[in-house]
Amino acid sequence: MTFRELHDDPCDNCEEMLQPYLDRELTTMERAEAEAHLDTCEYCRRRYRFEVELRRYVRQAVVEPMAPELKERLSSLRTPL
Amino acid sequence: MGEPSPTETRQLADDARARVRFEEEALELADQVYQVARRLVGSREEAEDLMQDTYARAFRSWRSFQPGTNLRAWLLRILTNLNIDRARARQRRPQTEPLEEGDYFLYNRLAGSGGDQQPEEEERVLARLSQDGVVAALSELPHDFRDVVVLVDIGGFAYAEAAQILDIPVGTVMSRLHRGRRILKRQLAEEASDDVS
Repeated sequence: MTFRELHDDPCDNCEEMLQPYLDRELTTMERAEAEAHLDTCEYCRRRYRFEVELRRYVRQAVVEPMAPELKERLSSLRTPL
Repeated sequence: MGEPSPTETRQLADDARARVRFEEEALELADQVYQVARRLVGSREEAEDLMQDTYARAFRSWRSFQPGTNLRAWLLRILTNLNIDRARARQRRPQTEPLEEGDYFLYNRLAGSGGDQQPEEEERVLARLSQDGVVAALSELPHDFRDVVVLVDIGGFAYAEAAQILDIPVGTVMSRLHRGRRILKRQLAEEASDDVS
């Protein structure tokens, strides 16, 4: 079953394809379908761009450097020579 | 038992070298493993404990690592297994089924009622989120969803690698990821509206 069969509204369709599209998990046909709609729909295009930025933002927001002491503790777990 | 033969001595030396190389490579990956560990659990202390247990176990069972395969994934497999054991030991109360919305929900909420009549740059919409809000929303995700979202979106693992690490089918990774991201977006929308009020 294709996405089009699941949804009548092309924007609903496009929303369903957002995640697999960005994860490069769509089939060639589904991808072409999504891109054809994105070419003509500013509403969906904006939300796709937002998702790309959101993913980048989430990745950066959660970075927390490891404490140097932890690295030392991990090293101390090594098998003595 | 007598003295080891020259062959045995050479084998022991090779073995020791291989172990040292393994330990060094594992330690070089510690920062990257920590980034995932930190988001799988609620606190820095828990993440540090988990890292120590993981490395202790990895160093003990280094022989079961197949050289040439993905060491970071191997370490994270140990780590996620330990984390599942810990979660079971804590016997968390059953979580209520989290609410999720569609994928456009967060943008629509953040862009507000003006929506598409007044074009807004995506970056400006995104600026309504805070880093703390993202961290909090991620930590609120139920375990099953969080494990997958963290491995794929933070750890950068492919679906198949995440499936191997968590020992679940790829289809389950996909559905948990899909739902997990949607739940996360709903939580981010809530965090953002809490900040406004």
